[in-house]
Amino acid sequence: MHRLCFAIGLIALSLATPASSEIARIKQSSGAAFVERNTQRLRPAPGLQLLAGDRLVTGKDGRMSLSFIDNTRFAVGPNSQVAVTDFQYDRTRQKGSFVTQIDRGSLAVVSGRIAKSNRDAMKVRTPNTLLGVRGTKFIIEVPE
Amino acid sequence: MVAACLLLGGCATSSLVLLPDDDGHQGSLAVLEAGGQPGQGVIAQGNSRTKLGNVTPASRPLGGKGLKPQEAALLGSLPPPARSFTLYFDQGTSVPTAASQAVLVALRGEIAARSGPQVEVTGHTDTVGSEEDNDRLSQQRAEEVLGWLASQGFDRSLMSATGRGERELKEPTVDNFGSAANRRVEVIVR
Repeated sequence: MHRLCFAIGLIALSLATPASSEIARIKQSSGAAFVERNTQRLRPAPGLQLLAGDRLVTGKDGRMSLSFIDNTRFAVGPNSQVAVTDFQYDRTRQKGSFVTQIDRGSLAVVSGRIAKSNRDAMKVRTPNTLLGVRGTKFIIEVPE
Repeated sequence: MVAACLLLGGCATSSLVLLPDDDGHQGSLAVLEAGGQPGQGVIAQGNSRTKLGNVTPASRPLGGKGLKPQEAALLGSLPPPARSFTLYFDQGTSVPTAASQAVLVALRGEIAARSGPQVEVTGHTDTVGSEEDNDRLSQQRAEEVLGWLASQGFDRSLMSATGRGERELKEPTVDNFGSAANRRVEVIVR
């Protein structure tokens, strides 16, 4: 019976996967850098798998870089606070949606397949602006 | 305007630097909202700097000064682009052709050279045989490649293998048509 419950639990878990499946992987980090997930604070070691909703936080000497499963690439500069507030990607159809919020600091972006899939499928929000990304490479800086 | 900025505690505003893509193509960003108002306008000038917060963006060229040192450092820390590899198979088999052995070696080198690598392996078939058989064969091809990489010392948690059967033909053909171009495994290394 316990085993059955466990099995049912596993099925329920796998059906709910979009919220708990990998969206990106940390490539490198240095200095004071963290990934915040709910109340956890994770060290961004190379290979750490990121989930939608994760926040990327760096101190004054901190940096991190990451690649998403749609081929988007990020570099986060020092003194930054960046959150991936929405990320959905259908690998087979190569379509999805991707919203990043930059509260502080600097972020370099090379967009990937989601930005190509539909007009403004990828968005970036700063404290005063909402941008629709139309397939490109750019840097955003948000001073404190 | 200056007074308003002072009242709000400083006039430092967000800014955007737009660059050409690595392949030379120029992308753009649309201002969808600014300061709570619907935006109107698109930032499309490559190598330009734009202050954010205005409904209608005004960009100016980076000019002779170019990027600030911290911007150049940020771009320099971007991960390398994803790279794709394709391996080919003889009819009905899940062992890469002799010619594809060199691709396996290049693939191994690429994964080893990357920090925090992610490897996506996708198997495909041509249209010879039933759909069910081809689903199975394409999965076997992907797992064969993944298994070989695992035997070379790469952790299986870095990698995923899926089979797409005959759904994504590289070379469109009629049913039951043997095609060397379609009998393949595609590997993306990020």
